[in-house]
Order: sequence, then C-alpha cells, then structure tokens
Amino acid sequence: MRQLQLIRSNTFRWASAVAAVFALFTIVLFGFIYWKIDGYLIARSDRMIAQQLNFMAALPRDRRADAISDHLGQDSRGVQYAGLFDPAGNRLAGNLKELPRDFKVGGAAQAVRVVPIGQPPGGDPLIRAIGRRLENGDVLVLGRNVDETREISSVVGQALALGLLPALCLCLLAGAWLSVRAQRRVEEVNQRVQRIIAGDLRERLPHRNVNDPFSRLAVIVNSMLDEMEAMINALAGVGNDIAHDLRTPLTRARLSLERGRTHATTLEQLQSVTDKAIGGIDQSLAIITALLRLTEIENSRRSAGFGNVALHEILREVCDVYEPIAEDKSIALGVDIDRKLHVWGDRDLLFEAVVNLVDNAIKFTPAGGKVGLELLRGDKETIVRVTDTGPGIGEQEREAVLRRFYRSDKMRNTPGVGLGLSLVAAIIKLHGFRLVIHPGSGGRIEIICLDKANGSSRRDN
Amino acid sequence: MTLRTSEHMISRRPAGHFGTLEIELMMKVLLIEDDAGTAEEIVAELSELGFEVEWASNGIEGLDKARALHPDVLIVDRMLPGMDGLTIIEALRKEQVSTPVLVLSALGAVDDRVRGLRSGGDDYLTKPFAVVELIARIEALLRRPTDSRGTTLRVGPLELDLIERTAWRGERKIDLLPREFRLLEYMMRRSDQLLTRAMLLEEVWNYKFVPATTNLVDVHMGRLRHKVDGAGEPQLIHNVRGSGFILRPQQ
Repeated sequence: MRQLQLIRSNTFRWASAVAAVFALFTIVLFGFIYWKIDGYLIARSDRMIAQQLNFMAALPRDRRADAISDHLGQDSRGVQYAGLFDPAGNRLAGNLKELPRDFKVGGAAQAVRVVPIGQPPGGDPLIRAIGRRLENGDVLVLGRNVDETREISSVVGQALALGLLPALCLCLLAGAWLSVRAQRRVEEVNQRVQRIIAGDLRERLPHRNVNDPFSRLAVIVNSMLDEMEAMINALAGVGNDIAHDLRTPLTRARLSLERGRTHATTLEQLQSVTDKAIGGIDQSLAIITALLRLTEIENSRRSAGFGNVALHEILREVCDVYEPIAEDKSIALGVDIDRKLHVWGDRDLLFEAVVNLVDNAIKFTPAGGKVGLELLRGDKETIVRVTDTGPGIGEQEREAVLRRFYRSDKMRNTPGVGLGLSLVAAIIKLHGFRLVIHPGSGGRIEIICLDKANGSSRRDN
Repeated sequence: MTLRTSEHMISRRPAGHFGTLEIELMMKVLLIEDDAGTAEEIVAELSELGFEVEWASNGIEGLDKARALHPDVLIVDRMLPGMDGLTIIEALRKEQVSTPVLVLSALGAVDDRVRGLRSGGDDYLTKPFAVVELIARIEALLRRPTDSRGTTLRVGPLELDLIERTAWRGERKIDLLPREFRLLEYMMRRSDQLLTRAMLLEEVWNYKFVPATTNLVDVHMGRLRHKVDGAGEPQLIHNVRGSGFILRPQQ
C-alpha cells in the first residue's frame, strides 16, 4: 500500500519522468558520438587504402604480388585484404578468393562483402574496399575490415551503462526520497490542521527554514491563522459585550416585574412597574436593532442607492434637527459651511453617519460647551469635521471606540447602546471614505471623503 | 414577540381616541401572520378595540380571504409559508384592490422597507413592535389624511396657510421654524390620531433609522407645543405617555 502510494505520488512520477528524459538525452548523445567517430574512422581507413592502392598501382607489374604479400604479412590483426586478379577474374595474388560480386572497379571506397582465402565459408566479412583496373587489364582490390568500429560501439555501450545506470538509480532514489519527505510533511500538516479544526486555534503549521517553499507556505498560512485567531477572539469578545449589554436592561426588567408581582397592590403600581419593565425590554431591543443595522451596513455591497449627495444640505438638516437638543443641554451648536459640496454616496447613510457623530458630540459635551459642524474642502477631498469641547478621545482609545459596544469608563452611565461610532465607521468604509479621530482633549472627528477618480465628486459654487 | 402596553390602552380607552373608530362602522381587519402567538395577541388587542379581525396563517389562505372578505385594512407578515407577503400584495394590487396594507417584518433593513413599500404596502412595521404602534398605524391607514388640495388647514382654533406658510391660533400668529411648520402640518392632517415617535421620525424627519438620542422627537414637540399652546390656552397637543402625541381639537 505504502509502495503503491509512493509510485502514485506526483513527486515520484516527476522524478521518473525526468530520469527517463535524462536517459533518452544521454543515449542520443552517445549515439551521436558513436556515429561521428564511426564516420571519421571509416573516412580515415578509406584514405589509407586509397593511398596504398595508388602506391601499389605505381609499382612495376612484377613486384606487385610481392608487395601484396608484404602488405598482408605486416598485418598482424588480419584486417587487411588485398587481391590481384587478371582480366578474366582469376586470382593472381592476395588473400581474396575471387573478385567480389557487385563490386564497382574504379570507383571510390565502398562497402562490400568479400570471400577471403583460408576462412570457412559463411563468415564472409564486410569490408571497405577500392578496386582499380591496372594498365595491363589486371584488377587490383585493396580493402580493410572496419569491424573495429564495433569495438568502439561496445566501449560506448559500456560507458553508457557505467554512467547512465547509476544516474538513473540516483534519480529514482531522489524522487522516492522527495516524495516520502513531502508525504511526511503533508501528513504532519494534516495532523496540525485536524487539531485546528477540532478547535485548537493556537496550533500552527511546522516550518524549518525560510528558503524552503514548503516552509514559506507554512509561514503564510500561519500568518493567516494568526489573523483569524485574532478575529475570532475579537468576535468572541463582541459576543460577551452583547451578552453583557443585553443582560443589564433585561435584569432590570425582570427585577421590577418580580417586585411588582409581589408588592403591587393597586393597578397604578402595577402599571408603573410594567412601564419600567417595558423600558428595559425596549432598550434590549434597541441594542438588537442597532446590531442588525450594523451587520446590514457592513455586509452591504450595494452602491445602487448611490448618487450625488449634497453634504451641505445634510449638515444644515442635522443642525436643524439637533439645535433644540443642544440648546436644551445649554450647548452651542455651530455650523460652518465653506461652500456647497457634493460627494458620491448614499444620502440616507451619510445623513445617519453625521447624525451619529453630532449626537455623540452633544452627548459627551458638558453643559455650556460647544459643538461645531464644519464642511471644508481639501486638496483632493471633502471634509466633514465635528468638534466638541467634551473630554475627547484618548490616544489609546482611538481603536477601541470603533469597536462594537465600546464605551469608555467616563461614559458608562450615559444612555445609548454604544454602537454609534461602529455604525459611522461601517458607513464610512462602505463609501470608501476615511474616518479620522484626533486624540486629545476636545473631540475632533473628521470624515474624509476622497474624490473618486472618475470625477463623481465635484464642487459647486 | 409582541410588546403589550395594556396600560395605555386601559388608561386611554375612556378618553377614547381609539374609541372614535368604534363609533364608526365595524372595521374589518385581515391579519396574515404565521406565528400563532403574535397573531393571538394582535387579534385580541384589535378585537378589544372593536375591530372585526380575521386571521389567516399562511399566504394562500391569506390571499383567498383577502379576495373573499373585502377587509378595510390588511396586516401582512413578510415571510409566510405558502406565499410571500409581498407577492400577496402585488397580486392584490394587480387586481386593482386598493385596500391599505401594513407590512410586518422581522427584517428591519432599509432595503427591505423600500421593497415592502414599493410592492404596494402602504406602511411598514418592523418586529418586534409595540401594539400601540401597530394600532396607531392601522388607524392612520384607515383614516386617510385630510384633503391636501386646500391651501389652508383648520383644526379647532388652529389655522395653517400652506401658501403663505403662516400659522394662526385664533387671532394669535404663531412663528414657526420650517421644521416646526412641517411637524404641525403633519399633525393637523392627522388630527385626533395617535402619532407615535417612529411615525413622526419617518414622516416629518425622513429618518430611516432609529436615532441614538431617543428624545429627539420630544424636544422638537416640546418646542412646538410651547408655541402652539400658549399660557392660559386650552391644550391642543397632547402627550400620550410612552407612545406618542395627539393633536386634539378642543372639546
């Protein structure tokens, strides 16, 4: 089973394929070398026999037979062939029994099968030979056995075996090793992942050095896991916050109902108790509504409701709505609109965002303070700025205020569901704008509406 | 999930602003709602107020009853077994049935509200809601606002000139800010009806969300009332505790 898996593994297959291609190339290379050497040797031998033939043809007639036997006598390896035949084809000298058949006399060197003297029939060697008709009509044939090239081929074959086989084995071994290693790592990762799936969010994938692609992948996945763990923890935190914020008013409702049930003696008393309970339940419902709204905005991908929104009108309207409320709290609400400015967005959502900012500012500004609402034009952006003379938002609180349900300790006793700024942040994000919270005493929050590249944001005069 | 606010019902019944409906012909309400608990509460509350209530628990039955019974007002839940609430409304509107419809929904999304109203619903209420809210809205649907073609509105001693944008109480001119004028106009068109904070926020302020500051309406109403009901004059704008406001002509 394990072997089968090994063979089936991709790594191993690739290694085998590479080994096969490598072997093929080597064989082709050696074949080429063999072919070249073979050709070279034959050409050399052809030149030699041609020279000898010239030499012998130039000899006087009576010395030719001696020269041939000398020539053959010097050949210890028995590779030389020579024959002198009279015009009738009868042998005069040499070790060839007869004039080879299909032999072209007077041509260039050619391969031909000859019948030598003193050798059993059947093993007629194939040689390279040249024949020439001499001036007296005799035919001189000189040849040389080129079978020695076969030796070269056997040498080449041995070299191949020596070089190729170990290389192939090495290839396959490496393939097997890599494949086993990969499988082992996959198995290791699988075990860790199973633990993560089982709920151990702190588990991470193993990695050794950064240069290994596998380890780099593990590092990437690990960073993703870090991010997800943080997110899940944050969500769990939100869950706790929700539970806490819901429990408070519900507890109050339950307490007053319980007390009313036991102690109320008149209808009026019961009614006032019920009123309190309804108040508590309403507050819980308000929290749920706000949460759903937040989720809705965060998940919203719609820009169908987008249009050209007149920010100056929104600001005027918000001011109009909140002026009496600010006045009730003895807070001066001032609005300062640079000029008419438009942005591309959802009017209702932007209105809601500004309302939330102003609402917050008024809520946290003590009596006698000031809340300012400004509309400015920057280089490439339109800015809505809400300032107040309240406590402001501390440096370390800046991130936290955007979290759901966050309320700084100084606000613990202020009514509200603590989702206002999260809502604003969600709306701003949906629009692709930026929310800037300036730290320090005195609140200052800005919505930076960056101009879109397509010029959908424009200024009017 | 229904919030019962029996206190208001009990305390208000003698004063009887809902009572005005009882005097009229028995109004027939068809409630299409699949949750039996919610339906039971609504039916009980409406019957107590003198409505004749029919209940259908699924969409198909609801559409059949709507065709057969010719109710004066429909209360339709959005998500129903058998047939979606919006589909029922669309079907009825196609048949030229113009019965006012109040859409109920567990979904509070703005998009949803828009879809509900676009498909022919006349008003939209998100669950959970207070029964007072439901009844105020039904009443608003049953009693169409005072004809808006006239250039002046009159309720008791109040007179609103829609062209000149001026307001008078008897001989006394009332100086109103634009928003206050709009608020008073809305109230005069729907005089003698309970107007809840949510209704006012939606209609006068065009709010499509619940503002963080819950007393927004109260503050504005306080100012308007201060201007409308001067010292020594009989009160016209009444605060119904916990639910909303009524503009009631002098009795």
